[in-house]
Amino acid sequence: MAQAKSILQLPDDPRFLDMAYDVQGAVPEEERNLLSNLSPQDRETAIKFWQAVKSDFRYNEYLRGCLNCGVCTSGCPAAKFYDFGPREMIQYMMRDEVDKIWEFTNKKVWACVQCYTCSMRCPFNNEIAGLIMLLREYSVQFALPSAKEILAPYRRVLYTVLTMGNQVTPDMIQPDSFPDWGPQAVEESKNMDVYRKAIPVDLMQRTDIGWHPSLQTAVEMMTIMIESGVMDSLRGVDKDLYDMIMDIYEDRKSQLEEIKEKWQKGELDENELPDSWLDL
Amino acid sequence: MAGERVLVIGSGPAGLSATKELRNLGVDVVLVERESYLGGTPKKLKYSLLFPELRPASEVLDPLIKGVESSGVKTYMESIVEGVKDEGKGFTVSIKDKSGKITNEKVNAIIAASGFEHFDSRRKYEYGYGIIPNIYQISDIERMLSENKLVTTKGVPPKRVAILLCVGSRDATVGNTYCSRVCCAVSTKQAMEIKERVPDAVVHIYYMDIRTYGLMEDKLYWKSQLEYRVGYIRGRISEFMRGPNDTVIIKGEDTMNLNRALVVPYDMVILANGMELGLGSKQVAKALGLELEEHGFVKPIDPDRLPVQSTKKGIFLAGAITGPKTISDSITEGYAAAMKAYEYVTKGVWDESDFAKKRVEVAHH
Repeated sequence: MAQAKSILQLPDDPRFLDMAYDVQGAVPEEERNLLSNLSPQDRETAIKFWQAVKSDFRYNEYLRGCLNCGVCTSGCPAAKFYDFGPREMIQYMMRDEVDKIWEFTNKKVWACVQCYTCSMRCPFNNEIAGLIMLLREYSVQFALPSAKEILAPYRRVLYTVLTMGNQVTPDMIQPDSFPDWGPQAVEESKNMDVYRKAIPVDLMQRTDIGWHPSLQTAVEMMTIMIESGVMDSLRGVDKDLYDMIMDIYEDRKSQLEEIKEKWQKGELDENELPDSWLDL
Repeated sequence: MAGERVLVIGSGPAGLSATKELRNLGVDVVLVERESYLGGTPKKLKYSLLFPELRPASEVLDPLIKGVESSGVKTYMESIVEGVKDEGKGFTVSIKDKSGKITNEKVNAIIAASGFEHFDSRRKYEYGYGIIPNIYQISDIERMLSENKLVTTKGVPPKRVAILLCVGSRDATVGNTYCSRVCCAVSTKQAMEIKERVPDAVVHIYYMDIRTYGLMEDKLYWKSQLEYRVGYIRGRISEFMRGPNDTVIIKGEDTMNLNRALVVPYDMVILANGMELGLGSKQVAKALGLELEEHGFVKPIDPDRLPVQSTKKGIFLAGAITGPKTISDSITEGYAAAMKAYEYVTKGVWDESDFAKKRVEVAHH
């Protein structure tokens, strides 16, 4: 049986709700969002997400105030092409509009190109591009679907950065990705292996890496990534890549320890080691 | 009470009114002016009509100038105050003229009324003032209006005009976080003057807030819409580009809607540049040893109770040296400073205030 409605129940209209909370049994304005179309679970995550962003130590320094002048949006190169504007975000943040921030984070925040024009021109000295970066950082930490989606094409870059400290390797630069290449560039890209071998620098003789860190450097870099929490963020966004990188890390660490142990015992024969530790 | 002398620095509205009043009270005045004419910035930049009564600037200033000229004031034209020596009951002031000749004058009190300078819009480099043709400042437009030569670089009257408010005011990127107070009213007045001359022109004012405060609300803001159909668009323009045929293309956001970008061409763009203390007044403040407040203007001893008294005994302030002011406010302050100076030189009245030392205690709940 449906519960009997109170006679004082008014339409769900902000003008009515704002009049008397106690009479209507309505929650105070800060605790409700009249436009919320989110499911209860989503809303819970949205609130947690926004609280995490707000409690970041950078938040209060970056967000100072807003004159609603629109200089940020009118100078924004992304606003020209997308339904996106920094002023929109600042306004939601200043009013604690959780639902709107949630929507903005899931749909729009990735349109920013981080050119920092808005930050530079803001007459109130807000660090707007920094606030966008905050939203992005936390959306990775919270493993939001939009973060997963946006990071998927960057798997290979993430892999090379996290394992070797290189962003791009020569064999990633292929003609199919660059339709504007001329015939000479296409021709040269075919025999990249041979050309790279001719470079008289050991670090650059392979095409599967941009430069060649030592085994110890690679292990140290990965340790830093693990200790600083980068790998934890990655675990939520891309579990497969996380597992793969952690396996590689374990392998390399044991290899390094093995070599060190042999060296200490004086059993290491350097002639038996391959040219590159990547071939171990 | 014979022999009292007061030095007035600057002959703008505030300096002139102070001089005139002191002469009426029978005090000798030494007037120092940097330019070769009396009248200050309104005369220098040839202001057209004054808001809110929309009467020519000369109607307001010329009686003051004539009154001062005929009152037998010792005037040093094209001169600056080089230094001041405090001698207990008075000051010895060294005045340097254009040729570098220094004259010493003994005075009992000083009124600093050296005023403001307009913000130089070239400091907002993204606006392209001085680079893109047909971008002007309100201070340039005043001269064009008073000389009746409102034309674009093509020599024809503008058909589409944009006025951008808050250039160099309310802007932390140039370090001016205050409102310059008069630019809204001046811009609205200029929009009406433009419509008066070119009735079929389209005039848009880009604003964040319209601050035609007090009685100016309907005299300017409402009137400009009722009688002149001036358009008001909410948003601050972020950059200007040079368009074809010497037009200026503006880039802004119509902030009444979300994410609505505006890219619109205009024949003429006017930047409503704000007020700053300027180098002249900074030099005066340095020579007199006056303190500056956080916006860079000269600090009065108590902004509420004693707005025309400086922090240094015997030195009074009048006009835009203490902050952005209208011409009528400056004239009023000139009178007030003259009265205070008169009390000081005749009876030695100097009010003290502990405003700077006081901290307001509030209960934290």
